[in-house]
Amino acid sequence: MSVLPDDWALPALNARNEQWFTSGSIAVQRCIACSTRQHPPEEICHRCGASAFDHDVLAPTGTVFSYTVAHYAVNRALADSVPYAVVLVSLDEDPAVRVVGNLPGVPCDAIRIGMEVEAYWEERTAEDGAAIRLPQWRVR
Amino acid sequence: MRGAAVVVGVGESTYYKRGGSPDTEFQLACTAIRRAVEDAGLAMADIDGFTSYMDRNEPVRLSAALGVGPLNFTAQTFGGGGNGAAAAVTLADAAISAGYAETIVVFRALAQGQFHRYGQAGRVRRARGAGAFTAPYGMLSAAQICAMQTMRYMHEHGITQDSLAEIVLAGFEHAQRNPRAIRYGTPLTREQYHASRWIAEPFHLYDCCPENDGAAAIVVTTKERARDLRKSPVAIVAGAHGLEHRGGVAAFADPTFPTAYHRHVGTKLWERAGCGPQDIGVAQFYENFTGPVLIAIAEMGFCEPGELNDFVADGNIRWPDGGLPINTAGGNLGEAYIHGFGNVVEAVRQVRGESTCQVPDVELSLSVSGPGYAPGSAILFGKA
Repeated sequence: MSVLPDDWALPALNARNEQWFTSGSIAVQRCIACSTRQHPPEEICHRCGASAFDHDVLAPTGTVFSYTVAHYAVNRALADSVPYAVVLVSLDEDPAVRVVGNLPGVPCDAIRIGMEVEAYWEERTAEDGAAIRLPQWRVR
Repeated sequence: MRGAAVVVGVGESTYYKRGGSPDTEFQLACTAIRRAVEDAGLAMADIDGFTSYMDRNEPVRLSAALGVGPLNFTAQTFGGGGNGAAAAVTLADAAISAGYAETIVVFRALAQGQFHRYGQAGRVRRARGAGAFTAPYGMLSAAQICAMQTMRYMHEHGITQDSLAEIVLAGFEHAQRNPRAIRYGTPLTREQYHASRWIAEPFHLYDCCPENDGAAAIVVTTKERARDLRKSPVAIVAGAHGLEHRGGVAAFADPTFPTAYHRHVGTKLWERAGCGPQDIGVAQFYENFTGPVLIAIAEMGFCEPGELNDFVADGNIRWPDGGLPINTAGGNLGEAYIHGFGNVVEAVRQVRGESTCQVPDVELSLSVSGPGYAPGSAILFGKA
């Protein structure tokens, strides 16, 4: 159940985000040197400046920290998709980690800050054949 | 702080709705610059620098077309969208105070009819960088980004939709006195505001800056050069442009989210100016969207976040009776959206006594640039 068209933008994979977008888990970048987590993943650790990273798999649960409902289609390709909601989810296990996603199972006018949600993954195939697992959210 | 530089001229092109300009963006830029230089009583040959922010009208083309040269200084700010408007003035002040140039034009030209529309987003198959974490979900436009900030801020501080409306109504009301304003002659009621369609909740149509065509400019020079010019110079009392560590990191990861990126800017501005918000009787707050304006009002120190509903109510931000009239030419919403540079020009006009909503005896005049985009900036003008 995608909110946006199947051929809408998918992430371009790279060494830093591949785990997040292919593992089907909440794999948050962690600096090997100082253990700081940062999301979205960065090229340099914002705390210690190192550039070697691993990841922590966190519980796929969180609460809606904020959201918006887009009524105006900013691109013609989205004309049939509006209105759609975009949520910002704060993870239960590390509330400083905030994740953008959609909440397709909830009517736009029923979304509230503080809703408890859990992740699931949309299986998508990019035009170059890359298998992408896009985290999305549903009420738990 | 008061550097060596003062403002001696202002100018604008005619402002148009998107696509309404018979002139190209470059021609609009040249018109605004010519008018500002003429207003100053200077000749084009006196100009030896340009500063701006996010502008595509290169000084190479401008100087050739306008008869400017030799050129001694050009600079633009990094990033920040319209939050570079005040910073572009500080660039000119810094260059002139350091002696790298004598007379700089600070300008912004924007024709959304000729170039891309800020309210729309291009289509990409693969989203890169931080966009990989937002674009696949349809988080694409400035309105949507600022909506996400505003929704959280409203939740945390109990901000009402009517408080968003107050920003719009102030701008439209002030625009009714300004013949340059695109909304001149088309007032807006609170009912019309609430009935207007949603763009991105909590933003209605009127919460969002329009897409316009136009250009605006000011001329900055040394106090010495200003002495024998046409009008009294306006002092650049202080400017601030900056960010806290990890401020503005992408995809809402900023630890201080939701913010307008004006906490640090406010602290530095008041420290440098040797005064505070209690000393300010008129201000221009860049409206990309209404929510970030409210955040910026609080972050610049005018009230606590929880006091915002009261602060903007009962006409307090409207001329002539409010305690802090804002956007006195109509602002981005009512006058024109020239990426916020109209708000810089209007702040200068308030010191000169030339506003169409003139506050009496203005000693200090504040302009706060595009909230919600990092890094932030603000500039304080005053009597020279």
